[in-house]
Amino acid sequence: MSLVGKLKYQFMKDIGAPALMSLKDLKQHRKRPVSPAFGPPLKTNKRLKEILSRHYFLARYVPGAKQVAWVTSGAPVELLRAFDFYTIYPENHSALVGAKKQGADYCTIAENDGFSQDLCSYARIDLGHMLSGKTPAGKLPKPDLLFCSNNICQTVLYWYKAIAHELDIPLIHFDVPFVAVEQSEADVRYLAQQLLDMIPILEQFTGKVFDLKQFEIILKRSQESSQTWGKILELMQAKPAPMTIFDAFGHLAPVVSLRGLPVAQDYYDLLLKEVDERVNKGIGAITNERYRLIWDNIAVWYQVRYLATFFAERNMNFVTATYTNAWAETTGYLDIKDPWSSMAKTYGQIILNNNLKHRLGLMRKMIKNFGVDGMVMHSTRSCKPYSVGQFDLRKALSAELKLPAVIIDADIADERVWSQQQIQTRLEAFCETLEDTTLG
Amino acid sequence: MIPNRKKYLKQQAQNGQKIMGVLPALYPRELLWAFDILPAEIWDPPGDILRANAHLQATICPIVKRGLEFILKESASVNAGYLFPHTCDSLQNLATQVKDLIGTSQPVYTFYNPKAQFNKTTRRYYLDLLQDFQTTLETKFGPLNRAKLMAACELGSKIDIRWLTLQNARRADQLELTNPEYFQLVRAGEYLKPEDYLTLLNQVEVQAGPVHQSNRRLLLSGILPPHEETLSFLDELSVTIVADDLLSGSRRFPITQLDTPVDPFEYLTDRHFLLPPCSTRASNLKERIHHLQKMISESQVHGVLFNIIKFCEPELFDHRFLVKTLKQNRVPLLSLETELLPGISGQDRTRIEAFIEMLDEQVSG
Ligand code: SF4
Ligand code: SF4
Repeated sequence: MSLVGKLKYQFMKDIGAPALMSLKDLKQHRKRPVSPAFGPPLKTNKRLKEILSRHYFLARYVPGAKQVAWVTSGAPVELLRAFDFYTIYPENHSALVGAKKQGADYCTIAENDGFSQDLCSYARIDLGHMLSGKTPAGKLPKPDLLFCSNNICQTVLYWYKAIAHELDIPLIHFDVPFVAVEQSEADVRYLAQQLLDMIPILEQFTGKVFDLKQFEIILKRSQESSQTWGKILELMQAKPAPMTIFDAFGHLAPVVSLRGLPVAQDYYDLLLKEVDERVNKGIGAITNERYRLIWDNIAVWYQVRYLATFFAERNMNFVTATYTNAWAETTGYLDIKDPWSSMAKTYGQIILNNNLKHRLGLMRKMIKNFGVDGMVMHSTRSCKPYSVGQFDLRKALSAELKLPAVIIDADIADERVWSQQQIQTRLEAFCETLEDTTLG
Repeated sequence: MIPNRKKYLKQQAQNGQKIMGVLPALYPRELLWAFDILPAEIWDPPGDILRANAHLQATICPIVKRGLEFILKESASVNAGYLFPHTCDSLQNLATQVKDLIGTSQPVYTFYNPKAQFNKTTRRYYLDLLQDFQTTLETKFGPLNRAKLMAACELGSKIDIRWLTLQNARRADQLELTNPEYFQLVRAGEYLKPEDYLTLLNQVEVQAGPVHQSNRRLLLSGILPPHEETLSFLDELSVTIVADDLLSGSRRFPITQLDTPVDPFEYLTDRHFLLPPCSTRASNLKERIHHLQKMISESQVHGVLFNIIKFCEPELFDHRFLVKTLKQNRVPLLSLETELLPGISGQDRTRIEAFIEMLDEQVSG
């Protein structure tokens, strides 16, 4: 790391980034018309944009100042934070590309270079970025290290392996056995030992000594952020719900990509306060909430606005989702006094690494606690671990809870997969059934 | 010479043999043998996919779909449950889907295959996995007889050794077997009892010298070999597949010969970590490429045929790198995509013919 690089980064962090953010404030973006079906927007949205822009902006000045790690969303990032890595989340970046409806462009770059169109679009977008340097975030720093965990899917492992090979950089892999029945003692031991094994590797790579006290502080912060995020989601049990799940898809970003940093915790304290206030004042995310829905699977990033408006205009609000819940669900296992085994339990039992019996139970609970009237499942071409089993989950929940449900076939970030006509027809039929069922 | 799979398993079931349906791909077969369980592997059962479509999306690979279709039929020849080794995301979810949502009259077992690179921690964990699997099986099938496990390991070791010999003989053109015959032999291990399989392997004659001089030698890579009609078509074109990098083939046999088993669990662990690099175990790409190149040069092939199963993520990620490297090294290659349907399409025929023509030009040029 060079001194000049460090100084430049520090300058940008303390002065450049705040100045740029206030400049952005002045430069008011032309606002797109918002449907009157929506309630007042969250004030915290502005802060969210700020911290995410700042994160991507500062990333440009990181090379030479800090080591950069590309990390998967389910990896125990706290360990990297203890070694002061600047972390980039390719999944997040791919979602951003998807939300800007540029996913197909990036995917095509990867496909033209030999990657199959049948691979997860987050991976194809990222590989497209890696091959072309293109990004809507200005510029992303190249990784010095890759850190991945297969607790969300095996795909990330193949994908990171591909980057490691292409860029000839090291990959640290946290191998997380799938919970087919329940986590065994051997699983926990294996996971904890892998984390311990990583310490000397990271010490050697960074030239820094691991500081347990510092690590515990980071872990505590991470735990608090996840817990606060959990409380925010719980507040959506209120009627009317203070947010829509489409808001939550956005507000999820800090707990995924800035977990363990003070900025994430500060952010969620702010959001919790605002959401709590809205609940107390009875302010809903949509003006006339008559039906409450659950969303299953990752967002369709390029159609968030369309879907939010479609449902809001029919007085339907998504109040809960298995996806947003994933970063809060297992935090209860974390114990700062027993970091390694408790991290094994926290990271090892997240929804995508857990069996479908668990998922069914969780969805049942969410449907009950959030007063859900109907369910929309996004069967995504990209994600096998999220999508395989959805047909039977739907069947079980519909039969048991008499819950109207619909499955839409789409993709998370490759907009070529979206079929407007077909999906609209399906959704309209679903809404009719929902209205009939509730009336009946 | 090779017993028909369906008849053989039916006969075995009638004789009271415990038979477990095992999905792809890696599992400690010796442990099942020691419990007197015959693993009958389920890779690509024939027939139409009908009922499985109601449970799985269109973008799921045909191995998973066919596997589920087979399970839904509740075949009488599977009487000791199903085992789902952890191979990929789709099979991982299928296991819990069958067990926890769809249901079957048979118990469902799972076995995790560590994806981390080999080291002390991974090794120790694999030993624990074996121990846990033993305990699970014991609850259903009674206590494990250690002597039986030892005998199973010895038998497994003999099969591995014989397999290595036959593999080398195939490379040296010392086997008088057509392409379909060779792969029928390989795949008989998916359902024969180990002693029957060993007998079969021992019956294969290894000639003293090359039985023919093939100028069209290919290496086959992928999950499964192509359908028999494609293999026969290759014979028609005088193409011999002399080596394979198939998950259902050589990727399930250790790279080198192991020492005679002393402690069964240690032996099974060593064996697992001595398997060749494989996409489903997330092996390092450098190792995978190196292994493939080594096979290409040792078996003196003229080209590589990739048989890619539609929607198979593990293979598709690696495929791009393997292809790129081979192209850089001017190794001719052809990639076929399969949905595991019977027969050979006109398009595949044309592509294979064009590939062989190109191969001939390279060889003669
Ligand atoms: S979308 Fe699914 S397959 Fe793709 S990276 Fe995320 S969890 Fe993995
Ligand atoms: S073909 Fe590929 S995706 Fe299908 S079961 Fe096998 S490894 Fe999994």
